[in-house]
Amino acid sequence: MKLLMKLAKSIAITLAILLTACAPVQPWERGNLAKPQMALDPYPLQSALRAHNYGSREAAAGGNAAQGGGCGCY
Amino acid sequence: MRRKAAVVAVIKLSSLKAERLLRNFTTQAGPSIGAGQTTSSIRASKLNSLGALSGAALVLPGLISPLAHAAEGDEVDFQYSHYQEGKREIQISIENPETGGNDFPKVKNSNPIEVESLHGSSRISLTDHIKFSFNYIQDTWGGATPISTAPSAYGGNDATTDASGNTITGASPYVQTPNGNSLFFSKNLKPYVLSINPNSFEEKLTRSKRLTHILSTASPETRKQGDFKLSYDWDEFALNVGGGISVEDDYESRFGNIGARWDFNHKQTTVNADLSYTNSDTNAILDHDLVTYIENDKYYLDHVLTTLSETGEPQYASYGNLVGNRQDWSTHLGINQILNKSALVGADFNYTRSTGYLGNPYKLTEVFFVDPDSFGDAGFPNRATPRTAAFLERRPDVRNQWQLGGRFVQYVETLDAALHFDYHFSADDWGVQAHTFEADWVQPISDSGWTVTPKIRYYSQDQADFYVPFLVSGQAYSKDVFDGLGRQVFAGSDGKDYFRDPNTFLIVDAQGNPRPDSVSLEKKVNLYDPKKLPSHFSSDQRLSGFGTLSGGVTVAKQFAKGLTLETGFEYYTHQGALKLGGGGEQPYADFDFWVANAALKVNLDTISSNHSSVSGHTGHSHHVHGGHAPAGVLFDHMLPEAGDFMVGYRYMWNSQGGPMLHGADRVTDPAIVANGCGGDQCYLTPDSMAMHMHMLDLMYAPANWLTLMLMPQWMDMDMALREPIGSPEGGLPGNVGGHLNHHTQNNHQTGGIGDLGMYALFKLFDNNTHHFHVTAGLSAPTGDVDIQFRGNHQIAGGFQHYGMQLGSGTWDFKPSVTYTGHLDDWSWGAQANGIVRMENNNESGYRLGDLFQATAWGGYAINNWLSASLRGVYTVQGRLQGQYPNSNNQFQDPDTSEYSSILKFGPMDYPQNYGGRYWDIGFGLSAMVPSGDLAGNRVSVEWLQPVEDDVNGYQLERDGALSATWSVAF
Repeated sequence: MKLLMKLAKSIAITLAILLTACAPVQPWERGNLAKPQMALDPYPLQSALRAHNYGSREAAAGGNAAQGGGCGCY
Repeated sequence: MRRKAAVVAVIKLSSLKAERLLRNFTTQAGPSIGAGQTTSSIRASKLNSLGALSGAALVLPGLISPLAHAAEGDEVDFQYSHYQEGKREIQISIENPETGGNDFPKVKNSNPIEVESLHGSSRISLTDHIKFSFNYIQDTWGGATPISTAPSAYGGNDATTDASGNTITGASPYVQTPNGNSLFFSKNLKPYVLSINPNSFEEKLTRSKRLTHILSTASPETRKQGDFKLSYDWDEFALNVGGGISVEDDYESRFGNIGARWDFNHKQTTVNADLSYTNSDTNAILDHDLVTYIENDKYYLDHVLTTLSETGEPQYASYGNLVGNRQDWSTHLGINQILNKSALVGADFNYTRSTGYLGNPYKLTEVFFVDPDSFGDAGFPNRATPRTAAFLERRPDVRNQWQLGGRFVQYVETLDAALHFDYHFSADDWGVQAHTFEADWVQPISDSGWTVTPKIRYYSQDQADFYVPFLVSGQAYSKDVFDGLGRQVFAGSDGKDYFRDPNTFLIVDAQGNPRPDSVSLEKKVNLYDPKKLPSHFSSDQRLSGFGTLSGGVTVAKQFAKGLTLETGFEYYTHQGALKLGGGGEQPYADFDFWVANAALKVNLDTISSNHSSVSGHTGHSHHVHGGHAPAGVLFDHMLPEAGDFMVGYRYMWNSQGGPMLHGADRVTDPAIVANGCGGDQCYLTPDSMAMHMHMLDLMYAPANWLTLMLMPQWMDMDMALREPIGSPEGGLPGNVGGHLNHHTQNNHQTGGIGDLGMYALFKLFDNNTHHFHVTAGLSAPTGDVDIQFRGNHQIAGGFQHYGMQLGSGTWDFKPSVTYTGHLDDWSWGAQANGIVRMENNNESGYRLGDLFQATAWGGYAINNWLSASLRGVYTVQGRLQGQYPNSNNQFQDPDTSEYSSILKFGPMDYPQNYGGRYWDIGFGLSAMVPSGDLAGNRVSVEWLQPVEDDVNGYQLERDGALSATWSVAF
């Protein structure tokens, strides 16, 4: 729990710095950001499959855990 | 009026911006589109400009934030994947004939877990603001999986031979009474193994440090999930609501979620928040081969609601039904931020609270009871033989999980590539802390449409506080009860206690009266003290400490017309030694798997913009005219012009659940028993059977007169059996009787990839009213024909019924001739098609009967988007030829005692009960979107109502068949 709080704090601080530090990127400067390779998840279908495989083999929460997925009782 | 003017101004402004952006974008990407070119000429130069346009559209302010999720357009996707676990190394117990002791060689289990998955999804815009997405997922899995863990000297894995003569393990796990026990415990409760020197026969105890999983095999099972999401998008704000259900034989979960997205800071920042709830029921029928060996303690009784004994033969008639409910609440908070022109950063926080039955109903923990008083038995003062008991695992009924993570996406200008890096830390109150590192490199290959993405992932977790490979308890499992006088105490059948005098052996009651002859006795025992066991324990490997490393590559190719093909491969290794900081589980628990997947993505936006851009192109007029046949007719139309594509999805379901037929007549149970199984008596008979087929129709016309078609398909089947009235009592050899339960308590399920069809359609005649074509097709035997039941009761389960296999197993020739016509609102057609098996038998020794079908239909267009059809069908299929190898005998060869490769319990196991003659009437509806973004999308359904069945031998009557298709041509 302690470790978690520490981590949360450091991430929050980093984010705050990033948010204030970054220069505004004008919409017409976002050509690179709009490319498909820059999508947060370029392969959502595959990601869903991988998350299901990991989820049935590992104990950690796979992100938004309560999205079905079945028992995985094997 | 003023408002209108303002709107126009905004549009003008944005189109100005768009032009500037476009220039900016295209000069960056480098294709040959000058700034002076008009937008219409840009549209004409298809691929590059389309990419540029959509790219430019993406960066338009007021359209979409680059931080929103990847694909936002209307899309239909299909994905297939195969999960294949490597062979797990386990230790089996084999008696050494020389010494009489036991050896524990390491073997590779030959039947590792396989999972076949199919995923279909669609996302469509209902209005400008409302999007609807739907997912359907099904997976079928089967194979051997660890149910518990023990020192290898315990001998939990028996070696059994399967139908093909291979040694398999896990067919009959020994969880309570080992197969030859060489395991002893010392006074400090450490396990020791006894070995016997083959020369001197000297016995030696050595510390037993090696562990092994005890495996159990599962027959295939299928899970199906459907879920949806509805979202409403304002410019900078979006709300979504979704829900779904996942159903498998022993587990059902229902879930719902709501979420919101907010873009602000000039869309440089996006915040997501989601809340979801899942309610899941476990309803597991415990393995009847195992259940009698599971410890019958209070925990078990609390969870096992029904213990049935209905067939009257108690050695295999008792089984338990484990029920439980769990609820999961989960929240997710995410923030994504544009860092600069080429980098994004994001952070996530998740919290999940789970309550209820959180266990896995099939995982056991071995408990070795070591009685302190038993040291010295048989003259060995320092060793004790344990009494083993297998307990259902016990997890806490609450779990709180947190997860924190971040991601970073960097554009690499020189290579036009993107680097993705993710890290997540997760912790819970079960003591599991985990780290996940993931990195992808997304590399487009210039303007070819290809993208190659290598990826790597590392994961490490601590073990749960209550994880134990096995437990040792320093107390007797049970002790005989003696009274203060040293007399052993018995419970009499009359409810009174009786006592045995240690000297005279006389048995008397409390008053000293001798026991009446009518009273039977059972000795009283004190069971172990459950309080001396931990309150929670699990031996599930997923709760142990370990690390995993996986890596793979994804290759995607985007085709000109809005199609994307995506394939991926990943290898994954799970090892105790990979745990961060060491201290992971021993190597016995290591395993690996690989996953391969292939996906086809159809971008409907691109297709519809293709439609609208090619004005005056008459080739697609067939969408409007009623030239399509009912949904159940395959190969009904060709593509009109060279260069045309069509993508379609086809679902067929057929169900047999009527009475049993012999020929065309209903037949009674006793007649089935007597005659349905050749010269043998039937023990079981089919109750119902359902088959689901999912097919992809991929069509391409290389020439006006030729259309090529590729048709991959996935099957899943479900069959229920019952005991017919008058089925024979007993008479089953060996342990075969034990299998009867396995066949009646669970439905049989199989599923996975079916046969692959490849077709060429040749146009013979077409005058716009009448059309005539022939089809030559080939079906490749990609579907399995060797699916077997799990073994139990020390016998291999043998092959599944012929009708439950997923393919024909043979190369098949599939010709057809089709005539279609239409005039005004009317359409009609006829087709003759056939299947000719081109091999004598498949790898499993049989071939399905040839098939001939004739059909004719008429249709009427009710309005410009809906038409109805009526159809007649006649089908004849020959009987099945050949049979599974070594299956002459119903169960066992009387001379060699060898078991048959298929245990022939009922009519479905005999080749003569396949094929027949069938008459059906079909009622169909077909709708086509006439205009708008989804113009050209066609959806059709047809119900086939059986009129008459005339079956070969003894078979179930059919209920009917449903066909549903979706297609879009472009």
